[in-house]
Amino acid sequence: MSRLRGAPPRYWLVVIVVVFFLGFPTVITSFQASLWAQALILAIAIMGLNILVGYSGQLSLGHGAFMALGAYTSAILAHRYKMDYLLTIPIAALFTGLVGFLFGIPALRLSPLYLALATFALAVVTPSLIKRPDKLTGGVQGIILIQPDPPGIARDAFATVTGTPMTSDQWIYYISLACVLVLFWVAWNLVRHRPGRAMRALRDGEVAAAASGVNIAGFKTLAFGISAFYAGTAGSLFALATGFISPDAFPVSLSIQLLVGAVVGGLASIPGPLLGAIFAYFLPIESNQWVPSQSWIPDQIASTVKNAGPAVSYGVLLILIMIFAPNGLVGLARRGYELLQKRLRGTNDRETGQLPPDPQTV
Amino acid sequence: MGELLELTEVHAGYGPRSVLHGVSLSVPEGGIVSLLGANGAGKTTTLRAITGGVRWSGNITFAGRSLRGMSTEDIVRGGIAHVPEGRGICTELTVDENLKLGSHLRRDGAEVRKDYDRVFEYFPLLKARRKLSSSTLSGGEQQMLALARALLMKPKLMLLDEPSLGLAPIVVRSIFQIIKTINETSRVAVLLVEQNARIALDLSSKALVLEVGRVAVRGDSAELKDNESVRRSYLGY
Amino acid sequence: MQEFFQQVVSGIAIGGIFASLALALVLIYNAMGLVNFAQGEMAMFATFVAYALINRGMSYWIALPITLVLAFGGGIAIQRLVIKPVERAPVLTLVIITLGLATLINGFAGFIFGYVPRSFPSPFSSDSVDVLGVFVSYRDLGVIAVSGLVLLGVYLLLQRTTVGLTMRAAAHHPEASRLLGVQVSWMLALGWGLASAVGAVSGIMVAPILLLEPNMMQSIIIYAFAAAVLGGIESPLGAVIGGLIVGITVNLAGAYLPGVGGDLQLAVGLAIIIAVLVLRPNGLFGRAAIRRV
Repeated sequence: MSRLRGAPPRYWLVVIVVVFFLGFPTVITSFQASLWAQALILAIAIMGLNILVGYSGQLSLGHGAFMALGAYTSAILAHRYKMDYLLTIPIAALFTGLVGFLFGIPALRLSPLYLALATFALAVVTPSLIKRPDKLTGGVQGIILIQPDPPGIARDAFATVTGTPMTSDQWIYYISLACVLVLFWVAWNLVRHRPGRAMRALRDGEVAAAASGVNIAGFKTLAFGISAFYAGTAGSLFALATGFISPDAFPVSLSIQLLVGAVVGGLASIPGPLLGAIFAYFLPIESNQWVPSQSWIPDQIASTVKNAGPAVSYGVLLILIMIFAPNGLVGLARRGYELLQKRLRGTNDRETGQLPPDPQTV
Repeated sequence: MGELLELTEVHAGYGPRSVLHGVSLSVPEGGIVSLLGANGAGKTTTLRAITGGVRWSGNITFAGRSLRGMSTEDIVRGGIAHVPEGRGICTELTVDENLKLGSHLRRDGAEVRKDYDRVFEYFPLLKARRKLSSSTLSGGEQQMLALARALLMKPKLMLLDEPSLGLAPIVVRSIFQIIKTINETSRVAVLLVEQNARIALDLSSKALVLEVGRVAVRGDSAELKDNESVRRSYLGY
Repeated sequence: MQEFFQQVVSGIAIGGIFASLALALVLIYNAMGLVNFAQGEMAMFATFVAYALINRGMSYWIALPITLVLAFGGGIAIQRLVIKPVERAPVLTLVIITLGLATLINGFAGFIFGYVPRSFPSPFSSDSVDVLGVFVSYRDLGVIAVSGLVLLGVYLLLQRTTVGLTMRAAAHHPEASRLLGVQVSWMLALGWGLASAVGAVSGIMVAPILLLEPNMMQSIIIYAFAAAVLGGIESPLGAVIGGLIVGITVNLAGAYLPGVGGDLQLAVGLAIIIAVLVLRPNGLFGRAAIRRV
């Protein structure tokens, strides 16, 4: 099969990455593991957003709201009703997915621009909406969660490898990693098979898609539901990882952060959300710590970067990427790979009579 | 002798596809030239090349200056009025506003007023409909508005793309009569793209027939009209 | 009853502020088919500039026009530097870029001016005056007057001047305009400049009420979205009327509906957006689609 010849590098890459993340906590501190857990959680939310934006072409700027829904569902179930936290994750995810699906129904009538507008408004209003029913949500004070200890087997297994038993943070890291692996695998399958092709057909041209028999309404709402499911999972894990949620944990900048991650990583790609999440999560942290500590960066620039913080860097990077590399990091990687292949194969076919590309005024 | 407009060995196209394969033509000052041919022969592309709407190679000069590298706006400001296929009426604007767009670049106030008078003489119904939205005009009326607007630009050359398209024969005749008058009184040269070969040949002094991006036949309009085989093979009548 | 009329007048005043920002959104939407998510942040930054000028001793009524001119220039600069390179990109890309711009400007303002809220002077006294038996504050009247003047000015500019005509032509019919010698690209830049200046007015008018800080416009932009959507995103008149309706509604809701107050008024804005998009997506004055030729 010709597929086998082209595929191996990519499959091997996946294996390497998985193994890397499995072993990662053994070489970093527990605190760092908790940071990376949050990055992985963000990757899940971004993957959800990616399914919506990249694959079905609907722009949502309010995925932070879905994360909040997942987080609060889990937190309330665990805190108030004393449910086992791990059990609350799928419940929260399904509930959020259902809400997303219902949300997708009226969203069908909206042009992408209006959808962006409405979801943006939703994201801005979310903290206020959470504060209101304060009997349920704990209002401004939020909800504190007890982070579970790893089960005995895990603790011991970890101890055999590293010498110290697994901590709570590391356990949460592995839970998050497991969710990432499962959900990314699901997304990959989704994209490869019918639902994915249908969604891509939607994104590229609704009229043509309808003509080829794609049930547009069905798939668009399905995309919304799936996307919300992912965000809900992420929200639920997020509450677990941080141990505490409050309305202020879900400002509009979270939704923007998700979008940044999706775009920078590369829309309509599977590895994109992971790359984007790592970027979106660590950039603000690094710019606050790493940059000022480098002696070769002039003080002015360092303090500017530190004070201006993530906002300016996000903003500038978002703009630059959309102008120069709209397909994100994955797009750059793909282009680089193609260029490399061309070089190696030594193609130099010259086409005669070729006109230069259209001018901008056409 | 310097022709007003000269195209030499022009290739043009969209992306990798070439539509024109070495078209050469010229329009003398104050002259009328018809560009004929079937759909897809490249007539519209030729006009678009002149006003910079499509990439071209070769040579295009207007009033002695090369048009290479110039933006559409600058080419038009140099004295070429292009009435595109579909007439290009700004339907969001009123009739008066459309006309104003024609004259907005001119500095000669008194001349502009005289031109407005002339235009309303040619097209009295435009005067009556001045304040109305141009979207209320019929096809023929829009064509008149497009012509009036082009006139107000006081161009040296008008490029007209299928002015007869979709219009009733009686309207077509009246419009072409007006074009002829404009050419005679204001000495505006015209490069006319038309599917209706008969009426184009009546109006113009010279004509070319494009076929698949190349000039198949060229000559005086009178000769082409009388040539049965040319008419049958290329002009469809 | 007195109180009701006072609330209505306040609602009109705040509605004028919403209308100005909504008008800015509509101007850019008409020119480019996109919603500029950075409009609020641009207005906020302009307000900070005004603050800086006033702090240096400049009189309010001199600082105001200077700020508007600077905002105008800023809008043009943003169009030239950030938007023009991607003019041909799909609308979604442009929307994301405006989001990036919003984030950038917000962070930049925070960096230069810090996050401590400052009080911004109002040139109008806080006294009230008796108008037809109702006590209305000078501030509200002042805001209404200024917003009204600005909106009128924009109307006259767009409808009665040649520049305005070419701007409208370039916005709705870019290709046809080029063939008429209109420099479409520069007209778009002017549109951004104008929108930026109009938006700046809303920021300067709202600052005395809200306290000036980088996140000041985040709620205002939501109300402006509601106003623009309610009026019909393509209609400048709709933006004005929508703004007034949203202003009055939100004010009355805050005063008379139990539990709605402070930040929950924002939810009213969201509710308006959702209601319009579900019931009548074209708004009051919009049309189904824009044809661009």
